[in-house]
Amino acid sequence: MADRYAHYDVLDKRDTPSWNDKTRQVIDARMSLREADAGIGEARLATLRRLVSRIAPQPERHAPANTVALLAHKIVKDEGEGFRPATLPRLRECWLRGLDAIEAEAQARHGRAFAGLDAERADALLRGIEAGETQASDWIALPARDFWNWRVIPDIVSMHWSHPSLWSAMGFGGPASPRGYVRLDVNRRDPWEAEEHGDG
Amino acid sequence: MRGRSLALPLVRILLRIARPASREARAATFFTGGAAVLAGSVLADSATEHYRGSFRNPAMVLPLLSASASLIINGGGGSFSRKTADVVHVAAGAVGLGGLGFHAWNVGRQTGGYRLGNLLYKAPLGAPGALVLTGLLGAIAGALRESRAGAVVPRLVTGRAAGAVVAFGLAGTVAEAGLLHFRGAFHNPAMWLPVSIPPLTALSLARDVARAIPSPATPYLLAMTATLGLAGAAFHAWGVSRNMGGWRNWRQNLLAGPPIPAPPSFTGLAIAGFGALLLLKGRTHG
Amino acid sequence: MAEDDADIRCAGGRAPDPLVPGGWLEMREYGEEPVDFVIVGTGAGGAPLAARLAEAGFSVVAMDAGPFWRPLEDFASDESHQSKLFWTDDRIVDGDDPIVLGSNNSGKSVGGSTVHFAMVSLRFRPDHFRSRSLLGYGADWPIDWREMWDYYREVERVLHISGPVSYPWGPKRPRYPLRAHPLNAAADYLARGAEALGIDWAETPIATLSAPIGKAHPCVYRGFCVTGCSTNAKQSALVTWIPRALRAGAEVRDRAMVGRIETGPNGLATGVHYHRGGQWRFQRARAVIVAGYAIETPRLLLASATADQPDGLANSSGLVGRNLMIQLNQAAWGQVDDEVRSYKGPPSLAVSEHWNYRDEGKDYHGGWSYMSQGPLPVTWAKTLAGGRGLWGRELLDEMERANHSVGLKMVGEALPNAANRVTLADETDQYGLRIPRVTHSYSDNERAMMRHATRFMEDSLKATGARETWREMGDTCHLGGTARMGFDRTTSVVDADCRSWDVPNLWICDGSVFPTVGGVNPSLTIQAIACRTADRIVAMSRQGAL
Ligand SMILES: Cc1cc2nc3c(=O)[nH]c(=O)nc-3n(C[C@H](O)[C@H](O)[C@H](O)COP(=O)(O)OP(=O)(O)OC[C@H]3O[C@@H](n4cnc5c(N)ncnc54)[C@H](O)[C@@H]3O)c2cc1C
Ligand code: SF4
Repeated sequence: MADRYAHYDVLDKRDTPSWNDKTRQVIDARMSLREADAGIGEARLATLRRLVSRIAPQPERHAPANTVALLAHKIVKDEGEGFRPATLPRLRECWLRGLDAIEAEAQARHGRAFAGLDAERADALLRGIEAGETQASDWIALPARDFWNWRVIPDIVSMHWSHPSLWSAMGFGGPASPRGYVRLDVNRRDPWEAEEHGDG
Repeated sequence: MRGRSLALPLVRILLRIARPASREARAATFFTGGAAVLAGSVLADSATEHYRGSFRNPAMVLPLLSASASLIINGGGGSFSRKTADVVHVAAGAVGLGGLGFHAWNVGRQTGGYRLGNLLYKAPLGAPGALVLTGLLGAIAGALRESRAGAVVPRLVTGRAAGAVVAFGLAGTVAEAGLLHFRGAFHNPAMWLPVSIPPLTALSLARDVARAIPSPATPYLLAMTATLGLAGAAFHAWGVSRNMGGWRNWRQNLLAGPPIPAPPSFTGLAIAGFGALLLLKGRTHG
Repeated sequence: MAEDDADIRCAGGRAPDPLVPGGWLEMREYGEEPVDFVIVGTGAGGAPLAARLAEAGFSVVAMDAGPFWRPLEDFASDESHQSKLFWTDDRIVDGDDPIVLGSNNSGKSVGGSTVHFAMVSLRFRPDHFRSRSLLGYGADWPIDWREMWDYYREVERVLHISGPVSYPWGPKRPRYPLRAHPLNAAADYLARGAEALGIDWAETPIATLSAPIGKAHPCVYRGFCVTGCSTNAKQSALVTWIPRALRAGAEVRDRAMVGRIETGPNGLATGVHYHRGGQWRFQRARAVIVAGYAIETPRLLLASATADQPDGLANSSGLVGRNLMIQLNQAAWGQVDDEVRSYKGPPSLAVSEHWNYRDEGKDYHGGWSYMSQGPLPVTWAKTLAGGRGLWGRELLDEMERANHSVGLKMVGEALPNAANRVTLADETDQYGLRIPRVTHSYSDNERAMMRHATRFMEDSLKATGARETWREMGDTCHLGGTARMGFDRTTSVVDADCRSWDVPNLWICDGSVFPTVGGVNPSLTIQAIACRTADRIVAMSRQGAL
């Protein structure tokens, strides 16, 4: 799909009335997180990278998001929304075991690391997890579908779309305080909103 | 810019009134001044409002052009030919009427048609009406000057007709202010002022017109209304500053806050009202 | 230097002024001497009580496990960061249809969930207070709708609700204090759909300012409402009732987690054990009011079991924790040629209550309303990923069409079902307290309502020219019902005054007292009940009946 908002970058608004201090502070901190600092180990990090790249690809015309780093930090800090289904352990444990299970699944199916699988094989494996059709024994104690529905998808997706690059790519207005919006009608936009181009 | 557009005609009026001239001439000056103030208000208001509307329809520049021309003609104090002036006044009336029709059509085709929500938030009917009034006031002034020159002018512009125009204009402006202040739920008691003083003024003037005799109360009410228009602009400026982000967030708040250029239209009409009173007086004394 | 998000702020005779950056309000402090009322939770139920009881001259300490925010300086325009408003302590969800909590359902702040609620402020349909007798399902409330109507009025005034001048459904109601907001494009789509289908719609009565009031700014249509309003236009309990409570002499204790209600040998409550500043403390009180919402309230009651009340405090009926009701939150979505950009403005500026007031044509019990939507990026991505199973390239592409997506979402009445419940799990949380287990399954009635509602909403979208419509079947919202009010001690936990049948100086006043949830969002009703309870307490105290 043609990138409709190729020329738009929410970060251009960083120093305008659309952003307040608090927002600048939390977005700056988020964008500066790095994968290596999280400390979940190189092997798991490699699995996580491949997983994130399949679930949440980077936008084409915008800077890549540090989604892996965001998620790795979230995992290490065990920072969830608190609730979890009875079948799953807490966030950190769940993710660490889940990453190991994905790796084991790749070994069981293809005899090689998940990180080394091509896109097609990686996706087929992930669809297996999504459907609960798995081979590795790790999944006995960690129901694949629950892991997929309650951890993999919500966690990756929420980290990815909390990065400004993804906001730019979708033409989202981004942070908006103190300045909000004036023109609310259909097909109207304020000068500080993204202009849409392309296939409309 | 708006400051100057207001000050110039006011100064001129004061100068003119200070020197003796015919009643018609003095009245004409009031009408010109009123028209100039009104034109200034319309110009600034339609500029902001149509900027909000992103000038999505090319016709949205018309009121800006027309009001600018009216401002120049009326503010220029008779230094233009009668013909040029007439063209400008007629254009103001036409653009205003056109705008009125267009706004009415536009509101009607919104979801829900003429429901209150659309009357409150969509294209306002009062604003183009003010441009029509600008044209009328200017034309009245022109006709008055003509009569001064001794040409054969039908006594069309009687004090009563002129007074009726001003009273009607005041009533319309009150309706507009009332609607918008209702939208703001009259959250500040001062918001009641423009729906209490100007209506009295309009009534008083209408009574004068009906009786063809100016009553002593009318000039006071006109003066209060004129002052109120200026105070209103100041109030609105303060209102803008109270919105989130204050003046630093002016790109939002000038549009989202109360309209600063709107209240002075009361001032413009009140100034013209003095002209009408002069004419009425002339009638009784002469 | 700005304070840290993690600081205790209510101390030293002052509490934050939520309307002024760095501001403070004077606060009376009671120490741990016995007070007339200790209130657990400062949300929609607790905050009005704190204000009204303090104003009536009672000594009140209101505790909340969450922090005391100053939105103007503490809130970022950011979904992720603002998860600091949610209740994120451990909870287990199970049942056939386990519910999503966190951002979706419960807050942890002074002001409770109203700090991040969507501000929709609807009244119950009068008949819904007597659904058992009049409509043949659910349970009757022990309160008459006319009385509720008066309390709704009070709350609407306090919250400066902006709403339409004439409301199309139900008995005539007085004019809303402020005028309705303009419709955003998403709301316009609801309106157009309703007109096409020939049903009524209205601007949503909503708790955000359309004109400046006091120190609060009017809404700037920034659209981050469910992550907290940094404008303070939102009339949350934090900016309305709480300052009022403080001025009237109530003490608010932020970051104070109540772990147990203590009872004396006579079975009466004597105070609460709470955790604050790293240690457990005890606050003595002549009466305890629990207002922790439909999960934490039953959890606290169950955790306060004694030898005399082994099944939990006030639980002789066995109903504490039972009849947990969600509200159905299914949606229909579609794509349109117009740029909708539904991130602008409060998410739900238009509403139709048509199916709350019309009973014909339904193959199920109960009512529902629906509203326009404005999901922010993370929420929208989760909706697409969860609701349509999109991931990878497909998800990215769909997200890039977000500005042309438009949706309608229902708030539907789930029926009370004793099997849906809150119990205590064996696992413990950071305070060493047993965590709640929330068990939930849909019934056939709810499935039938979802089917009807999603079909109807999809039709509405199609009538406005939307293409590629789809139905989101998974979502739930709002909780109620785990300490229901009723007519007698065997079939309810509290009476009409929110006083527990078993422990006369224990009151429960929040979403958990709802016998039924109706088809409207609950917070206005919760606050109305709280105001009524305050009046009842004052009246009983005058009569010496406390
Ligand atoms: C995203 C979202 C949108 C919503 N939108 C709407 C809407 O548009 N309209 C509407 O009417 N409703 C809406 N709601 C629902 C509404 O916010 C809640 O129903 C309402 O706030 C519940 O009131 P309450 O008093 O029962 O609990 P809450 O407001 O949640 O307050 C409970 C408080 O108690 C505290 N607490 C709990 N247990 C303890 C303890 N043991 N010790 C100390 N403190 C404790 C919590 O920290 C919390 O602050 C929404 C909710 C959410 C989450
Ligand atoms: S849209 Fe209005 S209510 Fe919502 S967060 Fe913005 S200012 Fe607050």
